[in-house]
Amino acid sequence: MRRPGAVGALALVGLVGFALLGLGAALGLYAQGFEQAVGPEHLSPGPGAWLGTDALGRDLWARTIQGTRVSLTVGIGAALGLVAIGTLLGSLAGLRGGWIDRVVSGLVDAIAAVPPVVMLLGAALVLTPGMTTAILAISLTQWTGVFRSVRAEALRMRSADHDRAAVAMGADTWHRVRWHLLPRLRPLLITSLVVSFVYAVKVEAVLAYFGASAQHLPSWGRLLAESGSELARGIWWPIAAASVPLALLVLCAQVLADRLTDDEPGE
Amino acid sequence: MLLRRLLRAAATLAVVSILVFLVVDALADRATHELGRAASAEALAARRHLLGLDRPAVWRLGEHVLAAMSFNLGDSARSGLPVATLLGRAVGPTLAYAAPGFLLASVMALLGGFAAARWRGWPGRILVAVSTVLMSTSSVIIVVLGQFLLAHRLRIFPVLGWPLASDPRALLGFVLLPALLWAAIQLGPDLRHYRAVFVRELAAPHLEGLRARGLGEPRIARHVLRGAVAPVLARISARLPQLVIGSVVVEQVFNVPGVGALLIAAIQDGDLAVVQGIAFCLAAATIVGQMACDLAVYALDPRTRARPEAGR
Repeated sequence: MRRPGAVGALALVGLVGFALLGLGAALGLYAQGFEQAVGPEHLSPGPGAWLGTDALGRDLWARTIQGTRVSLTVGIGAALGLVAIGTLLGSLAGLRGGWIDRVVSGLVDAIAAVPPVVMLLGAALVLTPGMTTAILAISLTQWTGVFRSVRAEALRMRSADHDRAAVAMGADTWHRVRWHLLPRLRPLLITSLVVSFVYAVKVEAVLAYFGASAQHLPSWGRLLAESGSELARGIWWPIAAASVPLALLVLCAQVLADRLTDDEPGE
Repeated sequence: MLLRRLLRAAATLAVVSILVFLVVDALADRATHELGRAASAEALAARRHLLGLDRPAVWRLGEHVLAAMSFNLGDSARSGLPVATLLGRAVGPTLAYAAPGFLLASVMALLGGFAAARWRGWPGRILVAVSTVLMSTSSVIIVVLGQFLLAHRLRIFPVLGWPLASDPRALLGFVLLPALLWAAIQLGPDLRHYRAVFVRELAAPHLEGLRARGLGEPRIARHVLRGAVAPVLARISARLPQLVIGSVVVEQVFNVPGVGALLIAAIQDGDLAVVQGIAFCLAAATIVGQMACDLAVYALDPRTRARPEAGR
Protein backbone atom coordinates (compact mmCIF):
# COMPACT_ATOMS: atom_id res chain seq x y z
CA MET A 1 0.00 0.00 0.00
CA ARG A 2 1.21 3.49 -0.74
CA ARG A 3 0.12 7.04 0.08
CA PRO A 4 -2.96 8.13 -1.85
CA GLY A 5 -1.38 11.28 -3.40
CA ALA A 6 -3.25 14.29 -4.76
CA VAL A 7 -5.66 12.40 -7.04
CA GLY A 8 -6.35 9.86 -4.31
CA ALA A 9 -7.03 12.68 -1.84
CA LEU A 10 -9.50 14.20 -4.29
CA ALA A 11 -11.26 10.84 -4.61
CA LEU A 12 -11.36 10.55 -0.82
CA VAL A 13 -12.91 14.02 -0.57
CA GLY A 14 -15.54 12.92 -3.09
CA LEU A 15 -16.34 9.82 -1.04
CA VAL A 16 -16.60 11.84 2.17
CA GLY A 17 -18.93 14.23 0.32
CA PHE A 18 -21.19 11.35 -0.70
CA ALA A 19 -21.12 10.05 2.87
CA LEU A 20 -22.13 13.43 4.33
CA LEU A 21 -24.87 13.76 1.73
CA GLY A 22 -26.27 10.36 2.61
CA LEU A 23 -25.91 10.94 6.34
CA GLY A 24 -27.80 14.23 6.16
CA ALA A 25 -30.58 12.58 4.19
CA ALA A 26 -30.76 9.73 6.71
CA LEU A 27 -30.96 12.21 9.61
CA GLY A 28 -33.85 13.99 7.89
CA LEU A 29 -32.08 17.29 7.23
CA TYR A 30 -33.18 17.53 3.59
CA ALA A 31 -34.65 15.63 0.66
CA GLN A 32 -37.51 14.29 2.76
CA GLY A 33 -40.36 14.73 0.29
CA PHE A 34 -39.24 11.91 -1.98
CA GLU A 35 -42.53 10.03 -1.72
CA GLN A 36 -44.98 12.82 -2.59
CA ALA A 37 -45.74 14.27 -5.98
CA VAL A 38 -44.55 17.85 -6.24
CA GLY A 39 -45.63 18.61 -9.78
CA PRO A 40 -46.85 17.11 -13.03
CA GLU A 41 -45.24 13.93 -14.29
CA HIS A 42 -41.97 14.19 -16.23
CA LEU A 43 -41.41 17.85 -15.45
CA SER A 44 -38.08 18.87 -16.97
CA PRO A 45 -35.41 20.31 -14.66
CA GLY A 46 -36.18 23.83 -13.55
CA PRO A 47 -36.51 26.10 -10.52
CA GLY A 48 -39.37 24.09 -8.97
CA ALA A 49 -37.60 20.74 -9.11
CA TRP A 50 -33.87 20.98 -9.74
CA LEU A 51 -33.64 17.66 -11.46
CA GLY A 52 -37.22 17.49 -12.73
CA THR A 53 -39.81 14.92 -11.72
CA ASP A 54 -40.30 11.24 -12.47
CA ALA A 55 -43.26 9.34 -13.96
CA LEU A 56 -45.34 9.94 -10.82
CA GLY A 57 -44.43 13.61 -10.47
CA ARG A 58 -42.04 13.03 -7.57
CA ASP A 59 -39.03 15.26 -7.07
CA LEU A 60 -35.98 13.57 -8.60
CA TRP A 61 -33.53 15.67 -6.60
CA ALA A 62 -34.87 14.26 -3.33
CA ARG A 63 -35.00 10.75 -4.78
CA THR A 64 -31.42 10.93 -6.03
CA ILE A 65 -30.14 12.15 -2.66
CA GLN A 66 -32.02 9.37 -0.88
CA GLY A 67 -30.54 6.90 -3.34
CA THR A 68 -27.10 7.77 -1.95
CA ARG A 69 -28.15 6.12 1.30
CA VAL A 70 -28.96 2.83 -0.42
CA SER A 71 -25.72 2.63 -2.40
CA LEU A 72 -23.58 3.62 0.58
CA THR A 73 -25.33 1.33 3.06
CA VAL A 74 -25.14 -1.70 0.81
CA GLY A 75 -21.60 -0.84 -0.33
CA ILE A 76 -20.19 -0.36 3.16
CA GLY A 77 -22.20 -3.14 4.79
CA ALA A 78 -21.34 -5.72 2.16
CA ALA A 79 -17.66 -4.69 2.04
CA LEU A 80 -17.34 -5.00 5.83
CA GLY A 81 -19.25 -8.28 5.84
CA LEU A 82 -17.30 -10.04 3.12
CA VAL A 83 -13.92 -8.83 4.33
CA ALA A 84 -14.80 -9.98 7.86
CA ILE A 85 -15.89 -13.45 6.72
CA GLY A 86 -12.93 -13.83 4.39
CA THR A 87 -10.43 -12.72 7.03
CA LEU A 88 -11.88 -14.89 9.77
CA LEU A 89 -12.02 -18.09 7.72
CA GLY A 90 -8.80 -17.30 5.85
CA SER A 91 -6.73 -16.84 8.98
CA LEU A 92 -8.30 -19.89 10.60
CA ALA A 93 -7.60 -22.07 7.56
CA GLY A 94 -4.10 -20.68 7.06
CA LEU A 95 -2.96 -20.85 10.68
CA ARG A 96 -4.64 -24.08 11.75
CA GLY A 97 -4.11 -26.01 8.53
CA GLY A 98 -5.11 -29.67 8.57
CA TRP A 99 -8.71 -30.71 8.06
CA ILE A 100 -10.13 -27.23 8.76
CA ASP A 101 -8.07 -25.89 5.89
CA ARG A 102 -9.10 -28.71 3.58
CA VAL A 103 -12.81 -28.37 4.36
CA VAL A 104 -12.95 -24.60 4.06
CA SER A 105 -10.80 -24.53 0.93
CA GLY A 106 -13.03 -27.14 -0.69
CA LEU A 107 -16.05 -25.02 0.18
CA VAL A 108 -14.36 -21.98 -1.33
CA ASP A 109 -13.62 -23.86 -4.56
CA ALA A 110 -17.28 -24.79 -4.82
CA ILE A 111 -18.61 -21.31 -4.04
CA ALA A 112 -16.17 -19.68 -6.45
CA ALA A 113 -17.18 -22.08 -9.22
CA VAL A 114 -20.76 -20.81 -9.38
CA PRO A 115 -20.87 -17.52 -11.30
CA PRO A 116 -21.65 -14.57 -8.99
CA VAL A 117 -24.74 -13.50 -10.96
CA VAL A 118 -26.49 -16.79 -10.29
CA MET A 119 -25.80 -16.74 -6.58
CA LEU A 120 -26.45 -13.06 -6.05
CA LEU A 121 -29.72 -12.87 -7.95
CA GLY A 122 -30.80 -16.25 -6.60
CA ALA A 123 -30.11 -15.33 -2.99
CA ALA A 124 -31.54 -11.84 -3.30
CA LEU A 125 -34.79 -12.98 -4.86
CA VAL A 126 -35.33 -16.17 -2.83
CA LEU A 127 -35.07 -14.11 0.35
CA THR A 128 -37.40 -11.14 0.63
CA PRO A 129 -35.91 -8.27 -1.37
CA GLY A 130 -34.44 -5.40 0.60
CA MET A 131 -31.19 -3.73 1.61
CA THR A 132 -30.39 -6.32 4.29
CA THR A 133 -30.87 -9.08 1.75
CA ALA A 134 -28.57 -7.33 -0.73
CA ILE A 135 -25.89 -6.96 1.96
CA LEU A 136 -26.27 -10.60 3.04
CA ALA A 137 -26.31 -11.90 -0.53
CA ILE A 138 -23.10 -10.08 -1.42
CA SER A 139 -21.17 -10.74 1.78
CA LEU A 140 -22.14 -14.41 2.10
CA THR A 141 -21.20 -15.30 -1.48
CA GLN A 142 -18.33 -13.01 -2.46
CA TRP A 143 -15.79 -13.53 0.34
CA THR A 144 -13.74 -16.15 -1.48
CA GLY A 145 -11.24 -13.67 -2.97
CA VAL A 146 -10.40 -12.16 0.43
CA PHE A 147 -10.23 -15.66 1.90
CA ARG A 148 -7.61 -16.73 -0.62
CA SER A 149 -5.34 -13.71 -0.08
CA VAL A 150 -5.64 -13.90 3.72
CA ARG A 151 -4.99 -17.63 3.74
CA ALA A 152 -1.90 -17.18 1.55
CA GLU A 153 -0.59 -14.49 3.88
CA ALA A 154 -1.29 -16.64 6.95
CA LEU A 155 0.59 -19.55 5.37
CA ARG A 156 3.52 -17.25 4.67
CA MET A 157 3.48 -16.08 8.28
CA ARG A 158 3.52 -19.64 9.59
CA SER A 159 7.00 -20.10 8.22
CA ALA A 160 8.23 -16.80 9.70
CA ASP A 161 10.54 -16.95 12.71
CA HIS A 162 8.55 -14.56 14.88
CA ASP A 163 5.47 -16.72 14.52
CA ARG A 164 7.37 -19.89 15.42
CA ALA A 165 8.71 -18.08 18.47
CA ALA A 166 5.21 -17.03 19.46
CA VAL A 167 3.92 -20.59 19.09
CA ALA A 168 6.87 -21.91 21.11
CA MET A 169 5.94 -19.47 23.86
CA GLY A 170 2.44 -20.91 23.89
CA ALA A 171 0.49 -18.36 21.87
CA ASP A 172 -2.94 -19.60 20.81
CA THR A 173 -4.51 -18.99 17.40
CA TRP A 174 -6.47 -15.98 18.63
CA HIS A 175 -3.31 -14.30 19.93
CA ARG A 176 -1.46 -14.98 16.69
CA VAL A 177 -4.32 -13.51 14.65
CA ARG A 178 -4.73 -10.46 16.84
CA TRP A 179 -1.07 -9.53 17.40
CA HIS A 180 0.77 -10.99 14.43
CA LEU A 181 -1.52 -11.61 11.48
CA LEU A 182 -3.86 -8.61 11.59
CA PRO A 183 -1.09 -5.95 11.70
CA ARG A 184 0.55 -7.75 8.79
CA LEU A 185 -2.73 -7.85 6.87
CA ARG A 186 -3.66 -4.21 7.41
CA PRO A 187 -2.65 -2.84 3.99
CA LEU A 188 -4.29 -5.81 2.26
CA LEU A 189 -7.49 -5.42 4.26
CA ILE A 190 -7.83 -1.68 3.68
CA THR A 191 -7.39 -2.20 -0.06
CA SER A 192 -9.83 -5.13 -0.05
CA LEU A 193 -12.39 -2.98 1.74
CA VAL A 194 -12.24 -0.28 -0.93
CA VAL A 195 -12.23 -2.79 -3.81
CA SER A 196 -15.16 -4.68 -2.25
CA PHE A 197 -17.03 -1.42 -1.79
CA VAL A 198 -16.67 -0.68 -5.53
CA TYR A 199 -17.88 -4.18 -6.35
CA ALA A 200 -20.82 -4.04 -3.93
CA VAL A 201 -22.06 -0.69 -5.21
CA LYS A 202 -22.00 -1.98 -8.77
CA VAL A 203 -23.74 -5.21 -7.78
CA GLU A 204 -26.38 -3.28 -5.84
CA ALA A 205 -27.21 -1.30 -8.99
CA VAL A 206 -27.78 -4.54 -10.92
CA LEU A 207 -29.81 -6.09 -8.08
CA ALA A 208 -31.91 -2.94 -7.83
CA TYR A 209 -32.39 -3.03 -11.59
CA PHE A 210 -34.09 -6.39 -11.12
CA GLY A 211 -36.07 -5.17 -8.11
CA ALA A 212 -34.07 -7.12 -5.56
CA SER A 213 -32.67 -4.25 -3.50
CA ALA A 214 -34.19 -1.53 -1.29
CA GLN A 215 -37.98 -1.47 -1.39
CA HIS A 216 -38.89 1.72 0.48
CA LEU A 217 -36.01 3.99 -0.41
CA PRO A 218 -35.42 5.04 -4.03
CA SER A 219 -32.29 3.40 -5.37
CA TRP A 220 -30.26 4.49 -8.40
CA GLY A 221 -30.44 1.09 -10.02
CA ARG A 222 -34.22 1.01 -9.74
CA LEU A 223 -34.45 4.54 -11.11
CA LEU A 224 -32.44 3.34 -14.13
CA ALA A 225 -34.80 0.40 -14.59
CA GLU A 226 -37.90 2.58 -14.28
CA SER A 227 -36.80 5.24 -16.70
CA GLY A 228 -34.62 3.41 -19.24
CA SER A 229 -37.46 3.11 -21.74
CA GLU A 230 -38.41 6.79 -21.38
CA LEU A 231 -35.14 7.92 -22.94
CA ALA A 232 -36.57 7.31 -26.39
CA ARG A 233 -39.29 9.87 -25.67
CA GLY A 234 -36.65 12.49 -24.93
CA ILE A 235 -36.98 12.24 -21.15
CA TRP A 236 -33.32 12.15 -20.22
CA TRP A 237 -33.26 13.64 -16.73
CA PRO A 238 -34.25 10.60 -14.64
CA ILE A 239 -31.46 8.61 -16.28
CA ALA A 240 -28.98 11.43 -15.70
CA ALA A 241 -30.10 11.81 -12.08
CA ALA A 242 -29.38 8.12 -11.47
CA SER A 243 -26.32 7.44 -13.61
CA VAL A 244 -24.17 10.50 -12.89
CA PRO A 245 -23.99 10.00 -9.10
CA LEU A 246 -23.66 6.22 -9.47
CA ALA A 247 -20.75 6.54 -11.91
CA LEU A 248 -19.12 9.29 -9.81
CA LEU A 249 -19.33 7.31 -6.57
CA VAL A 250 -17.82 4.21 -8.15
CA LEU A 251 -15.15 6.25 -9.93
CA CYS A 252 -14.07 7.94 -6.68
CA ALA A 253 -13.80 4.61 -4.87
CA GLN A 254 -12.04 2.97 -7.84
CA VAL A 255 -9.45 5.75 -8.07
CA LEU A 256 -8.83 5.49 -4.34
CA ALA A 257 -8.44 1.72 -4.63
CA ASP A 258 -5.95 2.16 -7.49
CA ARG A 259 -3.94 4.66 -5.48
CA LEU A 260 -3.81 2.29 -2.51
CA THR A 261 -2.69 -0.75 -4.48
CA ASP A 262 0.87 -0.93 -5.62
CA ASP A 263 0.67 -2.53 -9.04
CA GLU A 264 3.67 -0.71 -10.51
CA PRO A 265 6.81 -2.72 -9.87
CA GLY A 266 8.95 -0.28 -11.84
CA GLU A 267 7.88 2.82 -9.99
CA MET B 1 -1.64 -35.45 -11.97
CA LEU B 2 -4.55 -35.49 -14.40
CA LEU B 3 -6.40 -38.11 -12.36
CA ARG B 4 -6.04 -36.08 -9.19
CA ARG B 5 -7.34 -32.98 -10.96
CA LEU B 6 -10.35 -34.93 -12.23
CA LEU B 7 -11.14 -36.32 -8.79
CA ARG B 8 -10.85 -32.89 -7.26
CA ALA B 9 -13.12 -31.41 -9.93
CA ALA B 10 -15.73 -34.08 -9.24
CA ALA B 11 -15.51 -33.41 -5.51
CA THR B 12 -15.95 -29.67 -6.06
CA LEU B 13 -19.00 -30.31 -8.21
CA ALA B 14 -20.49 -32.54 -5.54
CA VAL B 15 -19.97 -29.78 -2.96
CA VAL B 16 -21.67 -27.32 -5.34
CA SER B 17 -24.71 -29.58 -5.59
CA ILE B 18 -24.80 -29.98 -1.82
CA LEU B 19 -24.62 -26.21 -1.36
CA VAL B 20 -27.38 -25.62 -3.89
CA PHE B 21 -29.52 -28.23 -2.17
CA LEU B 22 -28.96 -26.75 1.29
CA VAL B 23 -29.74 -23.21 0.15
CA VAL B 24 -32.81 -24.23 -1.81
CA ASP B 25 -34.08 -26.62 0.85
CA ALA B 26 -33.57 -24.17 3.69
CA LEU B 27 -34.80 -21.01 2.04
CA ALA B 28 -37.54 -22.02 -0.33
CA ASP B 29 -40.42 -24.44 0.03
CA ARG B 30 -41.28 -25.79 -3.38
CA ALA B 31 -44.85 -26.71 -2.43
CA THR B 32 -45.59 -23.16 -1.25
CA HIS B 33 -44.04 -21.79 -4.44
CA GLU B 34 -46.25 -23.98 -6.60
CA LEU B 35 -49.53 -23.55 -4.75
CA GLY B 36 -49.15 -20.01 -3.49
CA ARG B 37 -49.03 -18.72 0.06
CA ALA B 38 -52.80 -18.88 0.47
CA ALA B 39 -52.93 -22.67 0.07
CA SER B 40 -54.30 -24.71 2.97
CA ALA B 41 -52.04 -26.74 5.21
CA GLU B 42 -53.55 -30.05 4.01
CA ALA B 43 -53.05 -29.13 0.36
CA LEU B 44 -49.45 -28.18 1.06
CA ALA B 45 -48.83 -31.43 2.93
CA ALA B 46 -50.37 -33.44 0.10
CA ARG B 47 -48.26 -31.61 -2.45
CA ARG B 48 -45.13 -32.18 -0.38
CA HIS B 49 -45.95 -35.85 -0.24
CA LEU B 50 -46.45 -35.94 -4.01
CA LEU B 51 -43.12 -34.18 -4.57
CA GLY B 52 -41.44 -36.46 -2.06
CA LEU B 53 -40.52 -33.53 0.17
CA ASP B 54 -41.68 -35.27 3.36
CA ARG B 55 -38.88 -37.82 3.27
CA PRO B 56 -35.83 -37.30 5.48
CA ALA B 57 -33.51 -34.50 4.30
CA VAL B 58 -30.39 -36.68 4.25
CA TRP B 59 -32.07 -39.17 1.93
CA ARG B 60 -33.17 -36.42 -0.44
CA LEU B 61 -29.72 -34.85 -0.30
CA GLY B 62 -28.08 -38.08 -1.40
CA GLU B 63 -30.58 -38.51 -4.20
CA HIS B 64 -30.09 -34.93 -5.31
CA VAL B 65 -26.30 -35.16 -5.41
CA LEU B 66 -26.38 -38.45 -7.31
CA ALA B 67 -28.83 -37.05 -9.86
CA ALA B 68 -26.81 -33.87 -10.29
CA MET B 69 -23.53 -35.75 -10.70
CA SER B 70 -25.04 -37.76 -13.52
CA PHE B 71 -26.32 -34.50 -15.07
CA ASN B 72 -29.92 -35.48 -14.55
CA LEU B 73 -31.16 -31.99 -13.80
CA GLY B 74 -34.87 -32.70 -13.49
CA ASP B 75 -37.83 -30.87 -15.01
CA SER B 76 -38.86 -27.26 -14.83
CA ALA B 77 -41.74 -26.74 -12.41
CA ARG B 78 -43.21 -24.02 -14.60
CA SER B 79 -43.14 -25.45 -18.11
CA GLY B 80 -42.67 -29.15 -17.33
CA LEU B 81 -39.81 -29.40 -19.83
CA PRO B 82 -36.49 -30.95 -18.84
CA VAL B 83 -34.05 -28.35 -17.53
CA ALA B 84 -31.39 -29.58 -19.95
CA THR B 85 -33.69 -28.80 -22.90
CA LEU B 86 -34.39 -25.30 -21.62
CA LEU B 87 -30.71 -24.65 -21.08
CA GLY B 88 -29.78 -26.00 -24.48
CA ARG B 89 -32.32 -23.69 -26.11
CA ALA B 90 -31.05 -20.65 -24.21
CA VAL B 91 -27.33 -21.15 -24.80
CA GLY B 92 -27.54 -20.34 -28.53
CA PRO B 93 -28.93 -16.79 -28.23
CA THR B 94 -26.53 -15.97 -25.40
CA LEU B 95 -23.48 -17.16 -27.29
CA ALA B 96 -24.67 -15.36 -30.43
CA TYR B 97 -23.95 -11.99 -28.87
CA ALA B 98 -21.58 -12.90 -26.03
CA ALA B 99 -19.00 -14.79 -28.08
CA PRO B 100 -18.35 -11.99 -30.62
CA GLY B 101 -18.40 -9.43 -27.82
CA PHE B 102 -15.96 -11.51 -25.79
CA LEU B 103 -13.59 -11.95 -28.74
CA LEU B 104 -13.67 -8.25 -29.60
CA ALA B 105 -13.09 -7.18 -26.00
CA SER B 106 -10.29 -9.71 -25.45
CA VAL B 107 -8.39 -8.69 -28.59
CA MET B 108 -8.80 -4.99 -27.84
CA ALA B 109 -7.86 -5.46 -24.19
CA LEU B 110 -4.74 -7.47 -25.08
CA LEU B 111 -3.56 -4.94 -27.67
CA GLY B 112 -4.48 -1.98 -25.46
CA GLY B 113 -2.94 -3.55 -22.39
CA PHE B 114 0.29 -4.25 -24.24
CA ALA B 115 0.38 -0.72 -25.67
CA ALA B 116 -0.30 0.82 -22.25
CA ALA B 117 2.49 -1.24 -20.69
CA ARG B 118 4.96 -0.60 -23.52
CA TRP B 119 4.40 3.17 -23.83
CA ARG B 120 3.95 4.23 -20.23
CA GLY B 121 3.78 7.99 -20.96
CA TRP B 122 0.67 9.75 -22.19
CA PRO B 123 -0.65 6.96 -24.45
CA GLY B 124 -0.57 4.55 -21.54
CA ARG B 125 -2.12 7.01 -19.13
CA ILE B 126 -4.96 7.82 -21.49
CA LEU B 127 -5.68 4.13 -22.07
CA VAL B 128 -5.72 3.45 -18.33
CA ALA B 129 -7.95 6.47 -17.67
CA VAL B 130 -10.42 5.39 -20.34
CA SER B 131 -10.59 1.85 -18.99
CA THR B 132 -10.98 3.11 -15.42
CA VAL B 133 -13.94 5.23 -16.47
CA LEU B 134 -15.46 2.30 -18.41
CA MET B 135 -14.95 0.04 -15.42
CA SER B 136 -16.55 2.52 -13.03
CA THR B 137 -19.64 2.89 -15.15
CA SER B 138 -22.20 0.36 -13.99
CA SER B 139 -23.17 -2.16 -16.65
CA VAL B 140 -26.75 -0.95 -16.28
CA ILE B 141 -25.71 2.54 -17.37
CA ILE B 142 -23.58 1.27 -20.26
CA VAL B 143 -26.41 -0.86 -21.63
CA VAL B 144 -29.22 1.67 -21.19
CA LEU B 145 -27.23 4.61 -22.56
CA GLY B 146 -25.66 2.53 -25.33
CA GLN B 147 -29.05 1.38 -26.54
CA PHE B 148 -30.32 4.95 -26.47
CA LEU B 149 -27.38 6.54 -28.26
CA LEU B 150 -26.59 3.93 -30.90
CA ALA B 151 -30.08 2.65 -31.62
CA HIS B 152 -32.56 5.40 -30.78
CA ARG B 153 -30.54 8.49 -31.57
CA LEU B 154 -28.01 7.54 -34.23
CA ARG B 155 -30.17 4.73 -35.62
CA ILE B 156 -27.10 2.65 -36.49
CA PHE B 157 -28.67 -0.47 -34.98
CA PRO B 158 -32.21 -1.74 -34.56
CA VAL B 159 -33.57 -0.98 -31.09
CA LEU B 160 -34.57 -4.43 -29.85
CA GLY B 161 -36.49 -7.54 -30.58
CA TRP B 162 -34.70 -10.80 -30.95
CA PRO B 163 -35.15 -11.96 -34.53
CA LEU B 164 -36.67 -15.29 -35.34
CA ALA B 165 -33.66 -15.75 -37.59
CA SER B 166 -35.40 -15.38 -40.95
CA ASP B 167 -33.17 -12.75 -42.51
CA PRO B 168 -29.47 -13.21 -41.73
CA ARG B 169 -28.77 -9.51 -42.24
CA ALA B 170 -31.39 -8.56 -39.65
CA LEU B 171 -29.88 -11.11 -37.30
CA LEU B 172 -26.49 -9.45 -37.67
CA GLY B 173 -27.95 -6.06 -36.84
CA PHE B 174 -29.69 -7.36 -33.72
CA VAL B 175 -26.62 -9.21 -32.51
CA LEU B 176 -24.07 -6.47 -33.15
CA LEU B 177 -25.25 -3.91 -30.62
CA PRO B 178 -25.50 -6.33 -27.66
CA ALA B 179 -22.09 -7.68 -28.67
CA LEU B 180 -20.59 -4.18 -28.72
CA LEU B 181 -22.09 -3.35 -25.32
CA TRP B 182 -20.82 -6.62 -23.91
CA ALA B 183 -17.36 -5.67 -25.18
CA ALA B 184 -17.66 -2.24 -23.53
CA ILE B 185 -18.52 -3.83 -20.18
CA GLN B 186 -15.64 -6.29 -20.39
CA LEU B 187 -12.98 -4.02 -21.89
CA GLY B 188 -12.28 -1.80 -18.86
CA PRO B 189 -11.26 -4.39 -16.28
CA ASP B 190 -9.55 -6.64 -18.83
CA LEU B 191 -7.38 -3.91 -20.33
CA ARG B 192 -6.11 -2.94 -16.91
CA HIS B 193 -5.52 -6.56 -15.99
CA TYR B 194 -3.53 -7.29 -19.15
CA ARG B 195 -1.59 -4.06 -18.74
CA ALA B 196 -0.50 -5.17 -15.26
CA VAL B 197 0.53 -8.56 -16.71
CA PHE B 198 2.60 -6.96 -19.46
CA VAL B 199 4.15 -4.41 -17.09
CA ARG B 200 5.37 -7.32 -14.98
CA GLU B 201 6.62 -9.27 -17.98
CA LEU B 202 8.39 -6.26 -19.56
CA ALA B 203 10.27 -5.68 -16.32
CA ALA B 204 11.49 -9.30 -16.16
CA PRO B 205 15.28 -9.48 -15.71
CA HIS B 206 15.87 -12.09 -18.41
CA LEU B 207 14.85 -9.56 -21.06
CA GLU B 208 17.89 -7.45 -20.15
CA GLY B 209 20.05 -10.49 -20.74
CA LEU B 210 18.50 -11.00 -24.16
CA ARG B 211 19.01 -7.33 -25.04
CA ALA B 212 22.62 -7.52 -23.89
CA ARG B 213 23.14 -10.39 -26.28
CA GLY B 214 21.90 -8.16 -29.08
CA LEU B 215 18.46 -9.59 -29.80
CA GLY B 216 16.12 -7.29 -31.73
CA GLU B 217 13.01 -5.90 -30.11
CA PRO B 218 10.59 -8.04 -32.21
CA ARG B 219 12.23 -11.20 -30.92
CA ILE B 220 12.19 -9.87 -27.38
CA ALA B 221 8.46 -9.16 -27.77
CA ARG B 222 8.01 -12.86 -28.52
CA HIS B 223 9.62 -13.74 -25.22
CA VAL B 224 7.33 -11.28 -23.45
CA LEU B 225 4.28 -12.85 -25.06
CA ARG B 226 5.40 -16.34 -24.13
CA GLY B 227 5.80 -15.32 -20.52
CA ALA B 228 2.38 -13.68 -20.46
CA VAL B 229 0.59 -16.78 -21.78
CA ALA B 230 -0.25 -18.24 -18.37
CA PRO B 231 -1.88 -15.17 -16.77
CA VAL B 232 -3.71 -14.29 -19.98
CA LEU B 233 -5.11 -17.80 -20.34
CA ALA B 234 -6.10 -17.79 -16.67
CA ARG B 235 -8.07 -14.59 -17.20
CA ILE B 236 -9.74 -15.92 -20.34
CA SER B 237 -10.75 -19.16 -18.67
CA ALA B 238 -12.14 -17.20 -15.73
CA ARG B 239 -14.26 -15.26 -18.22
CA LEU B 240 -15.64 -18.34 -20.00
CA PRO B 241 -18.52 -19.11 -17.61
CA GLN B 242 -19.68 -15.50 -17.93
CA LEU B 243 -19.79 -16.11 -21.64
CA VAL B 244 -22.33 -18.88 -21.12
CA ILE B 245 -24.57 -17.01 -18.72
CA GLY B 246 -24.32 -13.77 -20.66
CA SER B 247 -25.18 -10.42 -19.21
CA VAL B 248 -28.53 -10.43 -17.41
CA VAL B 249 -28.84 -6.71 -18.04
CA VAL B 250 -28.16 -6.97 -21.78
CA GLU B 251 -30.67 -9.80 -22.10
CA GLN B 252 -33.28 -7.88 -20.15
CA VAL B 253 -32.88 -4.66 -22.14
CA PHE B 254 -32.65 -6.29 -25.57
CA ASN B 255 -35.14 -9.04 -24.85
CA VAL B 256 -32.71 -11.83 -25.72
CA PRO B 257 -34.07 -15.30 -24.84
CA GLY B 258 -30.72 -16.42 -23.42
CA VAL B 259 -29.42 -18.08 -20.26
CA GLY B 260 -29.49 -14.85 -18.24
CA ALA B 261 -33.12 -14.27 -19.17
CA LEU B 262 -33.91 -17.89 -18.32
CA LEU B 263 -32.30 -17.39 -14.92
CA ILE B 264 -34.25 -14.21 -14.18
CA ALA B 265 -37.55 -15.77 -15.27
CA ALA B 266 -36.86 -18.91 -13.24
CA ILE B 267 -36.05 -16.91 -10.12
CA GLN B 268 -39.14 -14.76 -10.49
CA ASP B 269 -41.34 -17.83 -11.00
CA GLY B 270 -39.69 -19.67 -8.13
CA ASP B 271 -38.70 -22.41 -10.60
CA LEU B 272 -35.95 -23.85 -8.45
CA ALA B 273 -35.08 -26.82 -10.63
CA VAL B 274 -34.02 -24.42 -13.38
CA VAL B 275 -32.01 -22.22 -11.01
CA GLN B 276 -30.26 -25.31 -9.65
CA GLY B 277 -29.60 -26.58 -13.16
CA ILE B 278 -28.06 -23.28 -14.25
CA ALA B 279 -25.91 -23.03 -11.12
CA PHE B 280 -24.70 -26.60 -11.47
CA CYS B 281 -24.00 -26.51 -15.21
CA LEU B 282 -22.11 -23.23 -14.96
CA ALA B 283 -20.06 -24.53 -12.06
CA ALA B 284 -19.21 -27.56 -14.19
CA ALA B 285 -18.26 -25.26 -17.07
CA THR B 286 -16.06 -23.19 -14.76
CA ILE B 287 -14.23 -26.24 -13.47
CA VAL B 288 -13.73 -27.70 -16.94
CA GLY B 289 -12.49 -24.29 -18.13
CA GLN B 290 -9.96 -24.14 -15.30
CA MET B 291 -8.68 -27.60 -16.10
CA ALA B 292 -8.41 -26.81 -19.80
CA CYS B 293 -6.50 -23.65 -18.93
CA ASP B 294 -4.07 -25.55 -16.71
CA LEU B 295 -3.47 -28.10 -19.44
CA ALA B 296 -2.89 -25.41 -22.05
CA VAL B 297 -0.43 -23.59 -19.81
CA TYR B 298 1.30 -26.88 -19.16
CA ALA B 299 1.67 -27.37 -22.89
CA LEU B 300 2.70 -23.80 -23.69
CA ASP B 301 4.88 -22.72 -20.78
CA PRO B 302 8.01 -24.85 -20.35
CA ARG B 303 8.53 -23.53 -16.81
CA THR B 304 5.49 -25.41 -15.50
CA ARG B 305 6.84 -28.65 -16.94
CA ALA B 306 10.33 -28.18 -15.55
CA ARG B 307 9.16 -27.79 -11.95
CA PRO B 308 5.95 -29.72 -11.46
CA GLU B 309 6.34 -29.55 -7.66
CA ALA B 310 6.83 -25.80 -7.38
CA GLY B 311 3.94 -25.27 -9.78
CA ARG B 312 0.68 -23.61 -9.41
